Amino acid sequence: MVPALRALLAVTVLAGLGACAPAGRGAAAPAITLGAGLAVTQQLTRAVDAGGVRTLDPSLSTDVPAERVLDDLFEGLTRLDERGEPVPGVAERWEQSADGRLWTFHLREARWSNGLPVKAADFVYAWRRTVDPATASDYAQALSPVLNAIAISEGRMSPATLGIEAPDDRTVRVRLNAPTPYLLSLLTKAYAVPQYAPAIRAHGESWVRPEYLVNNGAFLLREHVIGGRITLVRNPGYWDAKDVRLTQVTYLPLDRAAQTDRFFAGDLAFTDSFSAEQTAWLRQRLGDQVVSGPYLGNFVIGINVARPPFAGNRPLRLALTLAVDREPLVRYVRQGLYLPAYTPTPPLPGYRAPLPQWAGLSDIERHALAQHYYAAAGYSARHPLHVEMHYPTDSDNRRTYEAVAAMWRANLGAEVSTYNEEFRVELNERHLKKLSLFHYAWIGDYPDPYTFLQLFQTGFGYNDGGYSNPRYDALLDAAGNEADAARRYAELAQAESLLNADVACIPLYYYATRHLIKSYVRGWSGNIQDRNLSQYMYLQEHQGQ
Amino acid sequence: MLRFVLRRLLSALPTLLVIATLAFVLLHLTPGGPFDSDRVLVPQIQHSIEARFHLDEPLWRQYLRYLGDLAHGDLGPSFQYRNTSVNELIAQGMPVDLAIGGTAMLLALLLGGSIGLLAATRAGSWRDRLPMSLAMLGISVPLFVTAPLLILVFAIQLQWLPAGDWVSGSWRHLLLPSVALALPFTAYIARIVRSAAIEALASPFIRAARAKGLPARSIVLRHALKPTLMPLVSFLGPALAGVLTGSIVIEQVFGLPGIGRYFVTGALNRDYTLVTGITVLYGALIIAMNLLVDLCYGWLDPRVRARQ
Repeated sequence: MVPALRALLAVTVLAGLGACAPAGRGAAAPAITLGAGLAVTQQLTRAVDAGGVRTLDPSLSTDVPAERVLDDLFEGLTRLDERGEPVPGVAERWEQSADGRLWTFHLREARWSNGLPVKAADFVYAWRRTVDPATASDYAQALSPVLNAIAISEGRMSPATLGIEAPDDRTVRVRLNAPTPYLLSLLTKAYAVPQYAPAIRAHGESWVRPEYLVNNGAFLLREHVIGGRITLVRNPGYWDAKDVRLTQVTYLPLDRAAQTDRFFAGDLAFTDSFSAEQTAWLRQRLGDQVVSGPYLGNFVIGINVARPPFAGNRPLRLALTLAVDREPLVRYVRQGLYLPAYTPTPPLPGYRAPLPQWAGLSDIERHALAQHYYAAAGYSARHPLHVEMHYPTDSDNRRTYEAVAAMWRANLGAEVSTYNEEFRVELNERHLKKLSLFHYAWIGDYPDPYTFLQLFQTGFGYNDGGYSNPRYDALLDAAGNEADAARRYAELAQAESLLNADVACIPLYYYATRHLIKSYVRGWSGNIQDRNLSQYMYLQEHQGQ
Repeated sequence: MLRFVLRRLLSALPTLLVIATLAFVLLHLTPGGPFDSDRVLVPQIQHSIEARFHLDEPLWRQYLRYLGDLAHGDLGPSFQYRNTSVNELIAQGMPVDLAIGGTAMLLALLLGGSIGLLAATRAGSWRDRLPMSLAMLGISVPLFVTAPLLILVFAIQLQWLPAGDWVSGSWRHLLLPSVALALPFTAYIARIVRSAAIEALASPFIRAARAKGLPARSIVLRHALKPTLMPLVSFLGPALAGVLTGSIVIEQVFGLPGIGRYFVTGALNRDYTLVTGITVLYGALIIAMNLLVDLCYGWLDPRVRARQ
């Protein structure tokens, strides 16, 4: 549905809900009495984004709804635990060489849903299929740390030369281009899970339909309505089936407003999101059932540094970033859900993202500095900056960008007009480097600064701002070849501080995960990747709504 | 009669061709492609994806290929739902829309028809003005207000019915979306029937029937009803085609896997084949319904039959 319509719908429903709520109930959370034991019926209904699952083929899927379902259907060499940390999956243990470029994984006795054993060759087949240009996978490059993956995806080498081999049925050997500290996290992703070749050969692209699918995860696919409901049932043949308590998981694709409706109606226990502007209202009614936490994504304004007025004009870029009041922005525009951002990389365990010095200044000092640089860039009240900012249509985006434009007007006198465009139109113009200021939000592929910093590398496909600094590139390359984790992080931090000094972008805030979760749903803890596997969840005994 | 139908069917072909061509051209003119993403694609992969869907060919060849497939009833593979054809998507979504749209229309006809007739026989009294004011309200309040309100009352507060989802054959899941969709149509039908019936009741043959002393009930049902149906039938044709190809608002609010939702997500994702397929289907349904409407005219009015 068009966002404006959706927003209107949400407002209507909420207005109605408020009007109909019995007196006095508004302030309290709904009465759900929890019992001590497990609920008799262990069936969970979860929501995914309204776009729904486009394909369940692990090599082809790119959308978040599919990732949710594939996490339940397939298991790679590693899997995520409740906290989002990689733990042994099909591989029960592994070792790596001293230089961090050769990894050997030892597989446990795991079975496909047809009862046959999962073999090392199934991983070799799947990975080769993902990087093979003939498969036409959007995610072929995701396996780029693996030796020869890029050359194969570019058609320069045969898929057989990929750095993965199966010396025997229970051993997978992986060769990497460079030490990759986030490898274990990467291996939990759908594009790295094993695939059952006979099913794919027999049924082609239809192999992911419920009647043909052969999978190795905690659940089996019972029903898949294209773009609609997906029903999974517990897989009794899963190696860790004794710890899986849910007998059935249903995924429903719904927009945010419908997810909230269905949560109130009681037929949805785990939503995928809720509208940020409803946070206070929902917290008042649902209490602890409103769950939010840090998410691996940033909300950043991209600057085209290769185009006037920003090309070669660091003072102007600095003036704009200094003039943004991030604290009030997250507090009043984003309902306090998000963390203000002064640097592109969100908080990650072990990594100290470098903050620019001005981040600690008071508002008055920061504004004065902004005005100083604005004047140094040649702008004044008589000769204000006129520039356009483009963003994909979304009510949350609109509020943010209009607030930022108002801050620039108030703090500098700059005239920034904001334009919202349909996602694909904005994306297209961005890639063609036609835009001066643009929406540059990014959700990381793995919990590592590199996934955010590579966006500013010279020649990187989505370096839409055209930033190019040989020193920055050299630091990223050096980090890429560094086997020592601490030294690698130090090099990445150095690169990031260079990025901040050059003002290659304007970070605004870091995203947060947003869920409504019934208090009787247990076995999740929320994590930065926002991947909550159903295999750990269970329902506690409960009464009422 | 047969010649009339054949002639109409033949003249539908160029219309459909124009619809298909316009849909094809307009979609390809829209900025952004079906496989644009915020991920990095190496040129080989991009080429491989485009080759799979023949997007690497010149536009005229894509167009001819598309027309050729269309002539065989093949609407092509969906771009966004990999490994699914547009025919499969329509086959999956159509029963949902058929059930909801059909039930809604039936409800609207029964309710709207009765209200309209009753109001017409008591024109000018409060029993005319009250239902007609309510009908005006029914027309003015959009679906995205009524549907969530119904959910609020019947699913959230009273917990009588499910707030959405689709379970084939379950009347409980059918009821709320059908009623929501029926409300504006009920209002339209009530107004159409009322004005047509007032006009029919004032015509000379009704006066003659009255003069003969026929009871009022028989005058309305046996003599006034048929001419009353004429404007209703012309409204129902396109309206039926509309509900059969899905109501995006109803589908979105109730989370139903119908065609309307595929259409909108298809347009947003530049799923060329899916959008053109549904457009052509909608065009074909409109043409078919209009033909049916014309045939109904002939049955309802002997003067039209003579002209056909």
